[in-house]
Amino acid sequence: MALDDRILETLGRVAKAPIPTDRETSLFDTGVIDSFDLLDFVADLEKEFKVKVPDNDLHPSKFESLAKISAYLNTHGAS
Amino acid sequence: MSAILGFGHFLPSGVISNDMLAAEFGVTPEWILSVCGIVSRRKVVEEENVCDLAEDAALRCLQNSQTSAEKLGAIIACTGTPHRQFPGVSAEVQKRIKAGTIPAFDLHLASISGLFGLALASRMCEQWGPTLVVAAETMTSALAQGPRVKETAILFGDGAGACLVAPGDGPLAIRDVQVASDATFSDALRMDFGSTLQMDGRTVIMHAARKLTRSVAELLEKNSLRVDDVGLFVFHQANLRLLERLVQELKIDRGRCFINGDKYGNTSSASWLIAASEAQAAGLLVPGTKVVIAAFGAGLSWGAALVEVESA
Repeated sequence: MALDDRILETLGRVAKAPIPTDRETSLFDTGVIDSFDLLDFVADLEKEFKVKVPDNDLHPSKFESLAKISAYLNTHGAS
Repeated sequence: MSAILGFGHFLPSGVISNDMLAAEFGVTPEWILSVCGIVSRRKVVEEENVCDLAEDAALRCLQNSQTSAEKLGAIIACTGTPHRQFPGVSAEVQKRIKAGTIPAFDLHLASISGLFGLALASRMCEQWGPTLVVAAETMTSALAQGPRVKETAILFGDGAGACLVAPGDGPLAIRDVQVASDATFSDALRMDFGSTLQMDGRTVIMHAARKLTRSVAELLEKNSLRVDDVGLFVFHQANLRLLERLVQELKIDRGRCFINGDKYGNTSSASWLIAASEAQAAGLLVPGTKVVIAAFGAGLSWGAALVEVESA
């Protein structure tokens, strides 16, 4: 499965609103997730992609859109 | 070895309800309740200031600890909302309660300063003698220094709490206190000179949830305890959704987590001290009970403490 599809599947577990098709759209502003959902989402990403999100990277800006999430995973050795 | 001899707290009489905030910000009271779980907050009235709150909490703490002010060895005042640049709230408390010529100073760390005060007092009281840790905040005044925004206005309230820490045995033995800071995201929670509180809520809540969970888990592991061994959890009452998260993550029996933030909102450094004081007044600190305290705040800083109620 492609990276974006796996992200969408993982995000779907916590999403509270329809996930935007535009990869740059904010997941916060569209009500898909809030701060607490993001914690669950990050934990799910860590399991799904076998990455560790250290405290220094725990910032909403890194996970606010599908494009940002994809970029983060691509540069942090997602498998 | 040191111990907490007693707690005290004071809450001003002004009340800010969700109805009042809903009218101010054009939202519904239900929305406010859903995002933070807070029903009401307290607010200073008329000319009341942070020193008045601190003084009342200090005197009640001394009374509950059956200690007079002249027996004090030091005063640590904890606040993020001092009435002036210097001298601090500690100086005013020292003068008003008529403490002697003892060291008195402020910890200016906002929400986390009460726990840092406990950490410092628990170590230094051997040298200083009985040390009063008093935390007081006028968050509503701080929020009035700039444009009010609903994200912070719905959260914060005013109040003060105190504890007296003394060397040796006592009603609540302090078994361990762990504190830490990481400035990576220090700008996420700050108050600049002449400005109001600036809070990147998303960043703060994510780090608070992760670090408080980890801090409590590490404290328990270090002391060879399981969650079920703890009779009472007293957390910084930042936001009730955060408390629910901690309960869930740490698998705490919800009945063992003391909650009063719904009534008072987030009183910053004073919040866990007010909670502990109310828990003691409610008879929840029964002999043999292990109590875990945890707080989070500006810095970003966080920590957890383990205290044990003296056996009968």
